[in-house]
Amino acid sequence: MKQSKRTVFIAMLALAAIFVSSAAFAAEEIKVGALFPLTGPAAVSGQNCVNAVQAAVEVINKKNADINDPLAAQEGLVGGKYVIKVVPADHQGKPDVAKSEAERLYNQEKVFAIIGCYNSSATKPASAVAERAKKLFLCGCSSSAALTERGYKYFFRHAPTDAIESVEFVDYIAYLNKEKNAGIKTLGIIYENTEFGKHAAEEAVKAAKKIDLKIVADVPFNNGATNLNSEVQKLKSANPDVVFGAALGGDYSLWVRTMKQVNWLPKMAINYCTGYQNPAVQKELGSDGNFFMGGMGYSPELAKQFMPEGIKIQDKYYTPKSNQPFDSDSIQEAVMMMVLAQAIEKAGGPDTEKVREIIATQEFPSTMSLSGKVKFSPDGQNAEALSVITQLHEQSYKTVFPLKYKDFEPTIPMTPWDKR
Amino acid sequence: MTLTKKDKLWYGFIICAVILPFIPGVIGGGSFFGHVATMILLYAAMAQSWNIISGYGGQVSFGHSVFFGIGAYAAGLAVVTYETLPWYGVPLGMLTAAVVSILISYPCFRLKGHYFAIATFAIVEIFNRLFMIWDAVGGALGLDYPILDDGWKNFSWSDTKTGYYIGALAIFIVVFGIVRWIEKNRMGYYLLAVREGQETAESLGVNSTIVKLGAMALSAALAALCGAFFAQYNYRVDPPMVMSLDMSMKFVLITILGGIGTFWGPFLGALVLIPLQEYTRAYLTHLGAGVDLIIFGIIIIIVMIKEPRGMMGLLSYFNKGKKEGEAKL
Repeated sequence: MKQSKRTVFIAMLALAAIFVSSAAFAAEEIKVGALFPLTGPAAVSGQNCVNAVQAAVEVINKKNADINDPLAAQEGLVGGKYVIKVVPADHQGKPDVAKSEAERLYNQEKVFAIIGCYNSSATKPASAVAERAKKLFLCGCSSSAALTERGYKYFFRHAPTDAIESVEFVDYIAYLNKEKNAGIKTLGIIYENTEFGKHAAEEAVKAAKKIDLKIVADVPFNNGATNLNSEVQKLKSANPDVVFGAALGGDYSLWVRTMKQVNWLPKMAINYCTGYQNPAVQKELGSDGNFFMGGMGYSPELAKQFMPEGIKIQDKYYTPKSNQPFDSDSIQEAVMMMVLAQAIEKAGGPDTEKVREIIATQEFPSTMSLSGKVKFSPDGQNAEALSVITQLHEQSYKTVFPLKYKDFEPTIPMTPWDKR
Repeated sequence: MTLTKKDKLWYGFIICAVILPFIPGVIGGGSFFGHVATMILLYAAMAQSWNIISGYGGQVSFGHSVFFGIGAYAAGLAVVTYETLPWYGVPLGMLTAAVVSILISYPCFRLKGHYFAIATFAIVEIFNRLFMIWDAVGGALGLDYPILDDGWKNFSWSDTKTGYYIGALAIFIVVFGIVRWIEKNRMGYYLLAVREGQETAESLGVNSTIVKLGAMALSAALAALCGAFFAQYNYRVDPPMVMSLDMSMKFVLITILGGIGTFWGPFLGALVLIPLQEYTRAYLTHLGAGVDLIIFGIIIIIVMIKEPRGMMGLLSYFNKGKKEGEAKL
């Protein structure tokens, strides 16, 4: 009896010791909201963005000796004192839902910061919630230039804006006209009638003036359309030399297929972010997607050359979740997670004002950014945002501009449908 | 004055709703319940405004998001474009919605039954496209609110839901109060008469065109009032958000689930649907994309199969059972 009492006492002591030691060494969780469209027309892209944020968190929380990234070698943040926990939330692509979910994440889930929201129209009200509450909001890929024209202090965006991409597109056209005698004089714009598409079209018009590109077709369409025949016919009748396109996933493939149906192509078709960049969409299009162009911040081909560590993160943590490589949108959400973590590390913990100050003023090395670094301007826009123009050849994105990154001689004009 | 059972329920509900913000932590601060309670009151008021013409008047409209949108845009334009107070936009929005509803309804009321409903479907699409390309109202970009000072003047609060809750409660009381008045007055009897048989009502001297137009104008103005609140609450207005079939369906779905043509139906519908929608989305998202919507859909299907008269039908079924039980005793 005496023996069994002693055994019970020792067991209790051992249990208490385990409890105390685990409590002492348990890292504190810093919650980060990942607010994306997980249902609705952009659900696949939204889920990819959440997976990208989670992949970045795996790099931060675990020891990854095989990855050469500022936070990969250590476990957690601030000497293991903190780990990041992702709280996913769905805004369904609706601005009102994005606003109420942002409030819930900050007030109920007590997240330290939110990363999101993919759709520019959702990012706007959600980041307004953050600004009012003086909380951090980090945006990876929403490209509407208006987002960083509001004078917000707590909003930071990684992606190049539509304005930056538009200028790059016309710079490329000017180069082709001058050096390759491409004879590109007229422009058509086709865009979804949303915050993203409308802004992209406005920036295209501004940039076109720079090289006297005459706009002969301005064609908006409703996103989620089931038929784009009349829109493509408008383009065909105007017959512009180059078309700038701003269409998300399914709309992009519908646009390409409708052009095939009416048997028309311009000399060049260059796309803003989204549909063109999505490997799943290109897989669906097959060889019909060939010779189209687009602005990109990431492709597996580019990454092999300029972002080898990004490839490692992709293969180890992202692809097992998403069954595809990163795309230009999702990887930028991962970058913002890494930037936030680096700022928390430098601040010594989750102090909003300290972390904000660090993000606003310091430069961050970034193995998943094409430029290799991130530095924000006073308006919250990443001054180091860089995108290249690629052309698609059999599911492979070939870089054609700027010349520094060029690895392929593009097919211009595009090969007509009947000669493919 | 003797209070009926319905009166007692109505006044009792108002007293409870008014007390709610005084209980610490229930509505105030960043309470999620505060958000849900505000949305229940707002959507109940929206559904009740639809119930006037479609439930009591029998003219099923799928076009109410147009009037809701006009109210939202009126408040949004006042704040964003004219940089003044939203309050100026509210009466203008209500008036515009009433006028637009009359202009739309006059020709449409020549159509009967399903044809009227189909025509209202088309009207939503027309207005949606129109507002999408109308640059004066922001076009597809919509109107984004600047950050305003907190308080009643701007009807904007960043760290508490109390003001919004009180605003939604005021709208709820106004809309439901008007419907109570209609139910008890000649207007209500005229509406019911038109719903049950337009020719018969006309043979008894009821001017069905005037009754329907009046009900539609009132319904539209109240929907616009709700729209103005919605814009203030979300700091943003754009056509897909406020002037869409999706939004129109919310008016219809809540009322049908609660009980069309009944006083408490829209409130019961909102009381079930809104928390279900908000809490499932908020707390089941981690289980996978769309799980919340699947559960939401299944519950609606079950309720509609079991009791097509909605929640009010379920309640009357239980009441009937209770009375039968009492009679047996």
